[in-house]
Amino acid sequence: MDTNQDATLDALVARLADGDRSAFTPVFQILWPPILRLCMSMLKHEADAADAAQQAMEKIFARASDYDRARPAMPWALAIAAWECRTIARKRHRRREASKDTAADPSFDGAEDELVQRDLTRAALEALGQLSESDRETLVATFWDEAASVSGATLRKRRERALDRLRGAFRRLYGLD
Amino acid sequence: MDSTDRIERRARVRYEATRVRRALIGFAPVLLVVAIAGLVAKRPSATVAFGIAMFSVGVVLLWYGRDLKRAVLPGVVAGLVPLVLVLCANQVDHVCLGDNCMMVCIPACTVGGIVAGLAVASVGVRHRSGPSFWFAVSAVALLTGAMGCASVGYAGIAGLALGFGAGLVPGLVRQFLADRPA
Repeated sequence: MDTNQDATLDALVARLADGDRSAFTPVFQILWPPILRLCMSMLKHEADAADAAQQAMEKIFARASDYDRARPAMPWALAIAAWECRTIARKRHRRREASKDTAADPSFDGAEDELVQRDLTRAALEALGQLSESDRETLVATFWDEAASVSGATLRKRRERALDRLRGAFRRLYGLD
Repeated sequence: MDSTDRIERRARVRYEATRVRRALIGFAPVLLVVAIAGLVAKRPSATVAFGIAMFSVGVVLLWYGRDLKRAVLPGVVAGLVPLVLVLCANQVDHVCLGDNCMMVCIPACTVGGIVAGLAVASVGVRHRSGPSFWFAVSAVALLTGAMGCASVGYAGIAGLALGFGAGLVPGLVRQFLADRPA
């Protein structure tokens, strides 16, 4: 996708966010092929990829009104699609674990699971990096259950605020709740 | 391709549903104004009826988006002037004879309408808006103001409409002159 098409997509999604329905079909036509390709490359299974791509498109358009014009539209849309693929991969993995049949399907193995886990960790760390030093300290202290130098009520309040900001950062970065 | 069309249709439904939900949530605080006006007004049923109409129009405009969406906030703010003015006038100790309260309430509706009209006109001229914006902002402002003027009766609403129209005229003339080719 060239820069020109990127700019066109940004402008179309911005129009859609503003309520211009005439931008709907062009946005769909531009996004559908790369999203389907991404899902195919991540899931390596045609039916699962089609499901993930469909759900991703629905989520992208459901969130189109929240689109932040300062950010490029294609990475935003691909991040949502990648999240859907990870969700489907996790579900598939759980199904496999339940049926104890993981070895039967070569398209999904421990390496893929590790990849999904690594992606999630990277996403969480990136969102954490958006927070202030004190928010990070609060969340790390919560994670390790460390006793902080502040009272329980204050720590609880700080933790709630830090978690809210972490959710906000995650939503900003990946457009997801 | 059929399946792609189906996916596009489903995505479109999700898009519209999300816009409706956002409009309802975004405009919900206005219901507080309607409730307060209903509690203070002398004819709560008429006030609440206009309030519901105003809320519905606001939600539709926010759902639709574009220029119409931008008309909602100025419309509500402008409409609050006659609403507050009339609700305060209702509380002033004076004699109101049926639907005709010529002493305080109808003048309050008219003056509030003029101020709202001037405010709406200044926003419309500044943004060089099209007719759809003017209609939308006027509808929201009039319905908001009518929540208060409904307690005075038809004369109050007529006073509001006349005042609003009079306030709008200078802005419309300015816009017309500015848009006229040299």
